[in-house]
Amino acid sequence: MRIAPKINLSIASVLIIPIMIFWNPPFFSLMGVQPYWPLFWLLPWAIIYGSLDGFVAGLFLGLVLDAINNDFYTQIPGLVICGLWFGSLNDGKKNINKLKYGLLASLGTLICGIIYLLQIVLFGIHNEVSYLFSYAIKNIVSQFFLTGLLAPIFSSWLFLLFIKEKNQRYKSFHN
Amino acid sequence: MLDKRRIYSVRWWNKKKLWVIVLFLSFFVFVRISKGSIYRDLYYFLSKPFWPGEFQQEILLKSYEQELYAKLTQLEKDNQRLRELLSLQRVTNEDRINASVISRQTSSWWNIVILNKGSRDGVEVGDIVVGPGGLIGIIDNISLLTSSVKLITSFDSQLGVWTQRGNIHGLLIGQGNESPLLTFYLKEIDVKVGDFVFSSPASTILPPNLPIGIIETVDKELGPAVVATVKLLADPQAIDWVQILKMRI
Repeated sequence: MRIAPKINLSIASVLIIPIMIFWNPPFFSLMGVQPYWPLFWLLPWAIIYGSLDGFVAGLFLGLVLDAINNDFYTQIPGLVICGLWFGSLNDGKKNINKLKYGLLASLGTLICGIIYLLQIVLFGIHNEVSYLFSYAIKNIVSQFFLTGLLAPIFSSWLFLLFIKEKNQRYKSFHN
Repeated sequence: MLDKRRIYSVRWWNKKKLWVIVLFLSFFVFVRISKGSIYRDLYYFLSKPFWPGEFQQEILLKSYEQELYAKLTQLEKDNQRLRELLSLQRVTNEDRINASVISRQTSSWWNIVILNKGSRDGVEVGDIVVGPGGLIGIIDNISLLTSSVKLITSFDSQLGVWTQRGNIHGLLIGQGNESPLLTFYLKEIDVKVGDFVFSSPASTILPPNLPIGIIETVDKELGPAVVATVKLLADPQAIDWVQILKMRI
């Protein structure tokens, strides 16, 4: 008889994202910029569960991250778009090429970065946009490369975890 | 032979004693004309091993520092008293809370620092955070145990400041990087690289004359007003301990 409640590791693993953001490990940073941590989780989740779940997960992650950063600008649009896009790649395959994780995560980071920058340019208080752009390009490019480099490791590991738990639930449901 | 020797010894220029007297006399004349400089120079070499060394220099510097510190404390007290009389914003030593940085994001889109003191310790939203050197940011969110600081380098930070040399007011806007942008309201102003930037006494957010940074570059051609970049005195990337100041009005 099972006494301890079964922990859904797929859901619980999302808690690591805010911790990684707070921790900000220097060995995972490029020119002081962190990888875009939420995409490592969102990418395998959306690929396995589809666009709708990707959309919801993106919305949820965006809300959490906006709350953490207490930000005037929002990360929700970028993450929602990425959730929808990654979910549309769900074609029933068990796994995808690891290099594709890197490419998808890099492109996702680029989308999120550009949307965030657009918000700053459109709604910000900056008169001198030229000063802003040099810093923004550094941020986006660093995050683009770093997320793409680390995604094959983290995302494929999370993919295996998610698919294993999904199969277990499927089996227990049919038994 | 004997005669020759006698003649030789009788010549006055052959008298050794006489030459010795002349030499001494000329030496004393030289001493008189040079006003004893040779004695002073001699004393220089003799006394050199006994001069006050590094140790005494340290004592002097330390006492000078103490003197400056005492003067500063006295002036600060005086300033507090006058601000109290005029009912202006002020910060006293009792209103300071020491805190350590437990999380730091200073080089990406988000420029925030999280401190280990929260509402339980009396921290409130809007309190000022300073590090060794000067202002770092403002508390913008608190929890029971922690508080989040919006750094003055963040994109949506804007503060009223003035320069120390010319008392010229401007608006300090965060750029995300370590050098916020200082926009002045006028075009023809006397601002130079190296000028110190302090919080403006007109600011409603900050206590007055809080050191912030030094002007790094000045661009007078960019727009309708002069724009400068400011190098912060307190580097948020390196600071581990900060003080939270609570303002009183």
